[in-house]
Amino acid sequence: MLIDISANIGHWPFRQTQCNTCEALLARMNKFGVDVSVVSNMNGIFYKDTQAANEELHEEIRSDSRFKDRFIPFGVINPIYAGWQNDLETCSSKMGIKGIRLYPLYHDYELTDPSCIELVKNARDRGLTVAFTVRMVDSRPRAWMDLAKEWTLKDLIPIIQEVPDAKYMVLNISSGTHLNEEDTKIFKDADVVFDTSGKNIADLGGLISKFGKDMFAFGTHAPILDYVTGLLRVESLRDNEADSAAKELIRSGNAKRILGL
Amino acid sequence: MVNINRRKFFRNTAFSAAGLMLGKNLSGSTSDEFNDNRTSLPVPGNIMKEVLRYRKINAHEHVGMGMTLANQIDLADRLGVEKLEVSFPIAAGGKITATPDEFIKCNDVVLSAMKQYPDRYLGSCFINPEYGKESLEEIKRCMDHGMIGLKVYNQVKINDPLFYPVIEKLTDLKMIILMHAHCGIGVGGKRTKYGNSQPNASVPEDFVDAAKRYPSSMFQYAHTGGGGDWEYACKAIQDYPNIYVDTSGSNNESNMIDFALKYLGEDRVFYGSDGSFYQGVGNILASNLNESQRKKIFYDNFNNILRKAGNNVN
Repeated sequence: MLIDISANIGHWPFRQTQCNTCEALLARMNKFGVDVSVVSNMNGIFYKDTQAANEELHEEIRSDSRFKDRFIPFGVINPIYAGWQNDLETCSSKMGIKGIRLYPLYHDYELTDPSCIELVKNARDRGLTVAFTVRMVDSRPRAWMDLAKEWTLKDLIPIIQEVPDAKYMVLNISSGTHLNEEDTKIFKDADVVFDTSGKNIADLGGLISKFGKDMFAFGTHAPILDYVTGLLRVESLRDNEADSAAKELIRSGNAKRILGL
Repeated sequence: MVNINRRKFFRNTAFSAAGLMLGKNLSGSTSDEFNDNRTSLPVPGNIMKEVLRYRKINAHEHVGMGMTLANQIDLADRLGVEKLEVSFPIAAGGKITATPDEFIKCNDVVLSAMKQYPDRYLGSCFINPEYGKESLEEIKRCMDHGMIGLKVYNQVKINDPLFYPVIEKLTDLKMIILMHAHCGIGVGGKRTKYGNSQPNASVPEDFVDAAKRYPSSMFQYAHTGGGGDWEYACKAIQDYPNIYVDTSGSNNESNMIDFALKYLGEDRVFYGSDGSFYQGVGNILASNLNESQRKKIFYDNFNNILRKAGNNVN
């Protein structure tokens, strides 16, 4: 079984994205053997009121009977925008989300902002996974209106230290896996899963040795990145890097665990 | 995207997604019901059969820049890459303005790799056009030792008059010129209000300038996935058939390959990695190419370039 933990629908305002609807994403999933995708709506990165994007995603998944069994929705929440507590409640109790994706760089707040900490604790208490995307796009070819700043993995440590008992996903890791022992331990001690879509997952076998086989899950970061690279990193692992049981964890087992499935 | 009004939204009660294979507790349905909605999915792991189905010549890679040869060949083996074009275009310590002694040392590293893996590596010569006489002498030495092309970083722009004798030499040899390229804001003189890093990096317009001056020469615009704006680059070089691109680089944005074919056609695009082995292969497999186009990008197009000088792979 294959679960993609980092898919998206919706628009990216600076470049036309293909396969950015549930219908088109489902076709990609079928073509490449992906059973289930964790998905959120990128429109929520750019709407001031992110709940409108969550409603769009909810409605789109409801629009076709094939979708509800193939997509796991995540909400996009901005904790410095009015009403987020009610939005989270609605997403959790009425929309069936299994987690939330936060975009502090785009929504312009610090990870240690009291509202962010409150949101992560609230998600934790609801059993929701909290996902951070290290970068949405490569800043080098960015549009002039887009962010120039990118995170590294280390930048996420403060929120993990603030709420160490939450469940986390870290997506599209573009830099920062070369952590020192102390920082590595912070991630290993927490309930964190890294997806395989980011360019810094260049040596997944080595990263499994460093972090453990329980910390990685297949991801595409579609439709921003191509649909296959994250899968190649998993399927090309040699047996001495990941045996069949470890590969199954990365394909779906770790995703199930972090999602509480 | 489907719009939703508030009444419709609250009419839709809670649902549980992804019941597929995950048990009935999430959706209230059984796995059998889910299977009715699905086509037969490929078996996990089969993607590697698809990868290995295609012969591949990697048109942009390096040696001597961090990865051991053994590790590089191991990656190539995993992904079914037969041949790798390799160069070492930066002197020790990251020095850009290499002296003749320094670029000769770089080329010796490449020659050593070619000797160690004669069936895998296709070497490209590195020179610094600021040293004109020594550069031409080094090109002769490298080609005499079996190298197949030229790779220059950003020692000069590709349309710098200092580079003209080098272009003319490679044209005589019927070999391609691979040049570092960039197309980002604040790089190589593009939109300098955002800075001007790598001022000598060649931007698409520099390639066009060189291609117009030397219409019978072959230029390889490096790494569309290497951090530049690949949409801009492809549109800028569209009308110049002697400019080719390789799709290497770490930024494996979706649709890059399809976009390149749309603007450049299926004969001007090469597969490459530039250190990003998975992205190089993954992005091509994820694209909407037909079988013939995949073969061209992975293998035939670059082999056809090599054939012009008799260096093609059989």
